[in-house]
Amino acid sequence: MNRCRRLWLFILLFTGIGLSPLQADNALPKGVRVYSPGPAPVFRLTDMDNEAFALDSARGRWVFVHFWASWCGPCRKEMPAVQRMATLLADAPLLIVMVNTSEDEDTVFSFLGSYAPDMNSLMDRDGQVTEAWQPRGLPATYLVDPQGNIRYQALGGRPWDQPEYLAFLRSLPGSDGTE
Amino acid sequence: MQTPGNKHRYPLLLLALSGAAMATPDTPVDIRFTPRTPEQMSAFYAARGFPKPMVELLAKQCFITVRVHNRGTDTIWLDLSRWHFSAEGKEVQRYHRNHWLALWKDMGVPLAKQSTFRWTLLPETLDYQPDEAEGGNIILPWVKGPISLRASFASGPDQHGPLIRLHYDKLHCAGNPP
Repeated sequence: MNRCRRLWLFILLFTGIGLSPLQADNALPKGVRVYSPGPAPVFRLTDMDNEAFALDSARGRWVFVHFWASWCGPCRKEMPAVQRMATLLADAPLLIVMVNTSEDEDTVFSFLGSYAPDMNSLMDRDGQVTEAWQPRGLPATYLVDPQGNIRYQALGGRPWDQPEYLAFLRSLPGSDGTE
Repeated sequence: MQTPGNKHRYPLLLLALSGAAMATPDTPVDIRFTPRTPEQMSAFYAARGFPKPMVELLAKQCFITVRVHNRGTDTIWLDLSRWHFSAEGKEVQRYHRNHWLALWKDMGVPLAKQSTFRWTLLPETLDYQPDEAEGGNIILPWVKGPISLRASFASGPDQHGPLIRLHYDKLHCAGNPP
């Protein structure tokens, strides 16, 4: 290795240049951690308008998968921030998928009408999809990469509309590995 | 690696607790207990369409909502098998979630209601990451008088960090005996 290449290697190693921001833990917003259990459990659910969605149809995009329930206090607190995040990231290549756990349409309709009127949600009517994902609690958020693998997990409710979270979500690399 | 010196670094805390919500000072673990009356719990489950026999059975129990917050910089490990309740010198056996799961299956409770019920419980085990807070209910047989709890948490990424031991002396069931 010639001297010039060694110098460049030194600069890269000691300044962090060349590392994806996502590879450094300190680049992650508070309460978001690298979590890589493997492929995301696939599911097919319908939303409040009876439109079907299958997770594997989202291959090639990052997916923000969010489990919630209306009776859960932190979910109520977090939901308006999720809606603002969705608005602010409307131009980003990130698919936001809400999954309500075990409630009926009337409950979900009323709740979203009050807390996040622009949002729709998939209905995990018997709760079995949520069980398959084994969240730590509700609310629970995962980021699934374009290949269908879980890559990040949020611990509890998070202020997703705040700049550090938006910047993180915008920095997720594209399906071809580009940022 | 575990060393003899790092066990029990945190002193055993004896906390006299009488309010509805209670905090734990001076440890990385902040626990808040909120006893719920049978009426509160019945209303909660009935409003979500739980079958009447299920609601009636739950109304006879002692519900305490527990919120655990890891305020430290290490992982702490919740394991409810390390939580021991007693009242008037006798052990009070907490109901494990599997107890209810078996019961609901026998009663033919719809899966959605079983699922919601499970999510309202405190997890049996959980690795709390720094600054993580998760909560849920614990269910005890209804007992009169103060309830003592001796709880311990392992800590550290491999559970070999200092053992955190806590003692609460004045927990209680809310409301009147069912």
